[in-house]
Amino acid sequence: MIRFENASVTYPGGVHALRNLTLEIPDGQLMVIVGLSGAGKSTLIRAINGLVPLTEGDVTVDGVSVRHATPRELRQLRSKIGMIFQTFNLVNRTTVLNNVLMGRLHSAGTLRSLLGWYTPEDVEIAMQALERVGIVEKAYVRASNLSGGQQQRVGIARALAQEPKIILADEPVASLDPPTSHVVMRDLQRINRELGITTIVNLHFLDLAKVYGERIIGLRQGELVYDGTAAEADEHVFRDIYGRSLTADDLMGEAAPTPAAL
Amino acid sequence: MTAASGSAGTRPERPSKAKRNLALLGAAIVVVLCALTVDVDPAELARLPVGVGLVFHEMFLKSGPEWSYLPDALRYMVESLQIAWLGTVLGAIISLPLGFFGARNVSSGLVSNVMRQVLNAIRAFPEVVLAIAIMIPIAGLGPVAGMLAIGLHSVGTLGKLTAEVIEGIDPGPVEAARATGARPLQVQRWGVLPQVLPEVIAFWLYRFEINIRASAILGVVGAGGIGFSLQQALSFNRFERAGIIIIVVIGVTILVDTVSGWVRRRIIEGAEARTDAAGAEALGAEGAAS
Amino acid sequence: MTAVTSPAGHRPARPRPSLAVPIGLVAFAALTWLSASEQFGIGFDLGDIIADIDNGAEIIAQLLSPNWEFLPRTFERMLETFQMAVLASFIGCAVALPVAFLASRVTAPNLPTFLLDRTVLSVVRAIPDILYAMVFVAAVGIGPLAGILALVFFNIGVVAKLLSETVDGVDTGPIEAARASGANRLQTVRWSVLPQVFPNYIAYSLYTFELNIRASTVIGIVGAGGIGVLLQTQYRFLAWSNVSVIIVELFAFVLLIEMLSIWLRRRLV
Repeated sequence: MIRFENASVTYPGGVHALRNLTLEIPDGQLMVIVGLSGAGKSTLIRAINGLVPLTEGDVTVDGVSVRHATPRELRQLRSKIGMIFQTFNLVNRTTVLNNVLMGRLHSAGTLRSLLGWYTPEDVEIAMQALERVGIVEKAYVRASNLSGGQQQRVGIARALAQEPKIILADEPVASLDPPTSHVVMRDLQRINRELGITTIVNLHFLDLAKVYGERIIGLRQGELVYDGTAAEADEHVFRDIYGRSLTADDLMGEAAPTPAAL
Repeated sequence: MTAASGSAGTRPERPSKAKRNLALLGAAIVVVLCALTVDVDPAELARLPVGVGLVFHEMFLKSGPEWSYLPDALRYMVESLQIAWLGTVLGAIISLPLGFFGARNVSSGLVSNVMRQVLNAIRAFPEVVLAIAIMIPIAGLGPVAGMLAIGLHSVGTLGKLTAEVIEGIDPGPVEAARATGARPLQVQRWGVLPQVLPEVIAFWLYRFEINIRASAILGVVGAGGIGFSLQQALSFNRFERAGIIIIVVIGVTILVDTVSGWVRRRIIEGAEARTDAAGAEALGAEGAAS
Repeated sequence: MTAVTSPAGHRPARPRPSLAVPIGLVAFAALTWLSASEQFGIGFDLGDIIADIDNGAEIIAQLLSPNWEFLPRTFERMLETFQMAVLASFIGCAVALPVAFLASRVTAPNLPTFLLDRTVLSVVRAIPDILYAMVFVAAVGIGPLAGILALVFFNIGVVAKLLSETVDGVDTGPIEAARASGANRLQTVRWSVLPQVFPNYIAYSLYTFELNIRASTVIGIVGAGGIGVLLQTQYRFLAWSNVSVIIVELFAFVLLIEMLSIWLRRRLV
């Protein structure tokens, strides 16, 4: 379980990215965060694995405080949290498999990992992760040769290879076209249901949020302004969160394609 | 385990690393062979830390470097700087027109090819070789020979770099200049030169930094400068003096590098700012007109 | 010309010309004149040069006709040059790798280490290869060992600087990803940074190999082994046709390395 207690983040310039956040996220939940750019979505997600340090309050993951963790404890914590990025953050020059194996770095000994001598078990885990997202046949292809959607699935596989308890996804589909976005979101949803991994996703498109989110929270200027189910989140709710009327840019527009079409 | 939506792929075969491993093995063999066959006595190797430690100790630690030699050391270093400076100036002046000749988009294919080969040939000669083989016989021992050697070598490198910069320019302003009916030389002066000048000047300054090191070297063959003074100090085992000379070399080189680096950055930034400003102005003008 | 119907703007005042260019020109002129003058500088007199030019003409004539029979006698020293270059490149580039990572803000673990490394690197780079050679000859005696040591330091200076600048420009995305997955610093550098800079690293290493071959002409003169030793004896005897054989050999060697380097880089990217 992830728990925020009066958590605040104030950047050196004076920007209050997160204000007094108190929130509980139970295990296995698929939670979507919506809000304008700069509302604090990225900051919230990065506070969970300590990439952004809190300036006040605390966030605990399964009882372990992120703010007060030693560097070693922090790495230990992070090894159980997989992260997916808007820009995929793959190492372009190397193969898909090597990218996914980076998820095993924490458990591989330092010497082994520096030389690239992963154990057969590690390689097996990586391969299974690739199978789960459906691109294992690209295992030895150079990462930069894949399409955006495929690269993001490699990113998901990398996170899965960590055998994580939590997956954080920071705008995972913002760089993808609508059909691919649906594929990726559906993968995340499936992984959440089949493996019971707590999944927290930042989304820009409100229609996507409604389709895939179990629980939706809304941030505005660093404050939690909405916390409810997808069913309850209608246009009024979103307008409140955004503080303005909705525009076409806030919706992706294309409905999920039927499985046959894929 | 459920496969995802999309193709149910089979695991591909691991690609062979044989070629890569063979190449690495080959390289390793070369290195080991060199290590085994080079004319270095293992006993020498064993004595290495002691030998180096001793010299270092004598130069800096035993009674400190010879500070009283500082004014002379500085004088020699300044001479090296002057050699480097004049050599760079000489090289810069000559290389500028040669760079134009060597650029495929300015000169005909044949001319530029020939020029590039000539420049490559000049580049291939280290300054020392030019100094001892050509310049010292012509100008005699002393700093002038050093300056000429550095100048000639710099023509090679700077010429090539200048040509490359010229080849990389935006053809727009050149076309525009030609369209106004300007003569070829004017086109070069007003269409090409303004675009390349900041980068070329930055290269000149960078070359100056490198040439300072070259001129120290030339002192060793009698072309003036601090190399000569260090050689003297070492051959007479005056290690404290060698120590102060090395300190002077390090200090002055770092100082000049820093100043030169700062000036270079200002020049490049200035050029970029002017292009940005020009672009912004153009957009602004468009906006006002619409 | 008909009057323009659009609203006429005010003619702007002529901007004050920047002082940078005149200052630059004055500084340049002063430095140059001072350097060339008899009193403060090196006493450069074009007249002298022109008068002495036919001294050089004869030598140049000899240089242009290499004495090919001398070629076999160069092989031993050329081999030594090759050995020195290989070993120095190998050791120097290996050491330069960690030095470069410590010298880049992106991969350095903390500020003090970064600053210390940067300072040491500046000092190492400020000393020309010949000065290293002279000092090492004084320390370990004449012969290729001094040369290898000198070239190692020289290589570290070149490669660490170039590589650290490349590292400064890497894509930091993969670095964030590695950190987020719990990898430690060493693993992050190995998997997120190194793959990005590896082709550059190889290019720089080959470059040092070429530099070492060229440098061997010079360091041999102070006794640090390699073809420079032979070059010196020949020019002491004014045997210019032999000197030119050595020069042509070096030229060919360097050309070969350049072609190899281009081929290799294409294979790697």
